[in-house]
Amino acid sequence: MRKKIISLADDIARKLKILAEEKEDVRQKLAVTAEALRLKAKQLVVTAKEKEDVRQKLAVTAEALRLKAKQLAVTAKEKEDVRQKLEVTAKEKEDVRQKLEVTAKEKEDVRRKLAVTAEALRLKAKQLAVSRETLEEKVLERTKDIAEARAKEEAILASIGDGLAVVDKEGKIMYVNQSFEQMLGLKVKEVIGRSMVEVVPREDQNGAEVQFEERILTQVLSGKKFVADLTNPFYYIRKDKSRFPVSSIVTPVVLGGKIVGAVETFRDITKEKDIDKAKSEFVSLASHQLRTPLSSVNWYAEMLLAGDVGKVTPEQKKYLEEVYRGNQRMVGLVNALLDVSRIELGTFLVEPEPTDIVKLAQVEIGEQKLQIGAKQIQFSSSFEKNIPLILADPKLLHMAVQNLLTNAVKYTPEGGKVRLTIALSDVHVLIKVSDTGYGIPKNQHDKIFTKLFRADNVREKDTEGTGLGLYIVKSIIEHSGGKIWFSSPGKTPLGGESQENPGTAFHVTLPIN
Amino acid sequence: MKTQKTILVVEDEKSLRNAIADVLRLKKFLPLEAKNGREGVELALKKHPDLILLDLIMPEMDGMAALKKIREDGWGATVPVIILTNLSATNEKLAGDMAAHKLVHYLIKSDWKIHDVIKKVEKILEAETINSL
Repeated sequence: MRKKIISLADDIARKLKILAEEKEDVRQKLAVTAEALRLKAKQLVVTAKEKEDVRQKLAVTAEALRLKAKQLAVTAKEKEDVRQKLEVTAKEKEDVRQKLEVTAKEKEDVRRKLAVTAEALRLKAKQLAVSRETLEEKVLERTKDIAEARAKEEAILASIGDGLAVVDKEGKIMYVNQSFEQMLGLKVKEVIGRSMVEVVPREDQNGAEVQFEERILTQVLSGKKFVADLTNPFYYIRKDKSRFPVSSIVTPVVLGGKIVGAVETFRDITKEKDIDKAKSEFVSLASHQLRTPLSSVNWYAEMLLAGDVGKVTPEQKKYLEEVYRGNQRMVGLVNALLDVSRIELGTFLVEPEPTDIVKLAQVEIGEQKLQIGAKQIQFSSSFEKNIPLILADPKLLHMAVQNLLTNAVKYTPEGGKVRLTIALSDVHVLIKVSDTGYGIPKNQHDKIFTKLFRADNVREKDTEGTGLGLYIVKSIIEHSGGKIWFSSPGKTPLGGESQENPGTAFHVTLPIN
Repeated sequence: MKTQKTILVVEDEKSLRNAIADVLRLKKFLPLEAKNGREGVELALKKHPDLILLDLIMPEMDGMAALKKIREDGWGATVPVIILTNLSATNEKLAGDMAAHKLVHYLIKSDWKIHDVIKKVEKILEAETINSL
């Protein structure tokens, strides 16, 4: 126990000692701190003093600064002025600069364009150089061609089969070809410069010389229009005074709207005249030769039918009638062919006399009565009062009216209508034959007056017909100074405009005088 | 009535000549036949027929020449003549000739029925008879 107490006392002693030590530490530390605080205070005093110094100095500095600021404000204003002035100047400068820029750009453009143009010009120059060369070559070539062509043309002119003469505006011969020389027996050197009318006399059919003023050449040179009359040939007189029938054409040579000369071509038509004569002779021969056997058949058939050589049985009669009808058709065809030949040869003997067209039409209607009745056709007619006599060949008019009426009756189906009217209009007599018949196909309208033409629709329906009737009618009407035309569908009050049978109306005008 | 009338037929075509002669006989005429213009003139001047039917185009002597000869004769100047032909009277020469020879009739054979030709003959002769009374 004691020990323990001792140890404890020791411990406490030790702890007291430690505490004392710790106290000493703190006291020492506090002493240090106090010293530090004293020092600090001293320093603070110094610092305050320094601070005051600084404050004073600062005050001085502030004043200086204020002054400076004032000065600076003045300076700034001046500076601003300068700046503004400078700014204006700058703007002006900018403007100038911009303008300069634009000008520069324009200059550049111009320069560029000039450059392009220059290039183009250079190219063009090159091309021109090339073209010039080609042109020169071509000119040479063409000159050669022209010379050749000219030689050829001259050769052609010289060797034209027709006689050719070129005259100046006075009718003096400038050029003649080989045929001219041969046909007239004249040499080029004999005729050049001489008057064509004098060198080559012209005669009519009766041998009367055609006077200077009447010559076609004279008329053409004086600018007159003339119509060639080919029906009456003229004759040219050769150097040896022999003559030949000639067909000539004269055309003016017009330069700048003025007649400067004329070209005459002429042809010896001796052969054509011979052919014409042969044709006439053939027609006359044919009329005689063809009609003779036809007459023979006609007459013997008639005699048999009339019982001149004994009674014929009904069957025999029927057959004989067929023979007779066939022969009659042949006679009709020959007659129509003869009429056509006469029209074409101009040998139709036209004997105009004052003719009563109404009376003539009534006779025709009478002749058609049988056919009209057989087909039960409703026929009507109307004639205007006081139709004057017209100057025409009654035989030919008869033929024309007969043809139109026969056609109307022939090409109208049974029970149809046919109408004939004659009316007056100023200086014309108007004849109209209309029907409710088969009509004329539209696509064949232009051919209907053509020789030997028959429209398809009537060819199918009626095998008889020569295709000469309307051709003859038209020739007759035109010979008589009239006109003929038709409409199909026939626009008539006959009511014949159905699709199947559109009808036809033929109109004829004939001059009263 | 006077005795049978004599008709001279001048026609080169035998078949036609026979046909006319046959019908004339049938109609109680006395036909005389000539086959060309020359024979026609001879027969006409010898037999003095009452009427002449005359073709135009014939060998040896044509109808117009024959007619001219007949008309030159005293008897022949007035004898009725019918030109019976197939030649159309459309050329001027023919028309002129006919006027000069006082032709009364001109018939186209192929357009005329034979019995109509004979009727024409009868009619002309009738007129002649009346005229001569």
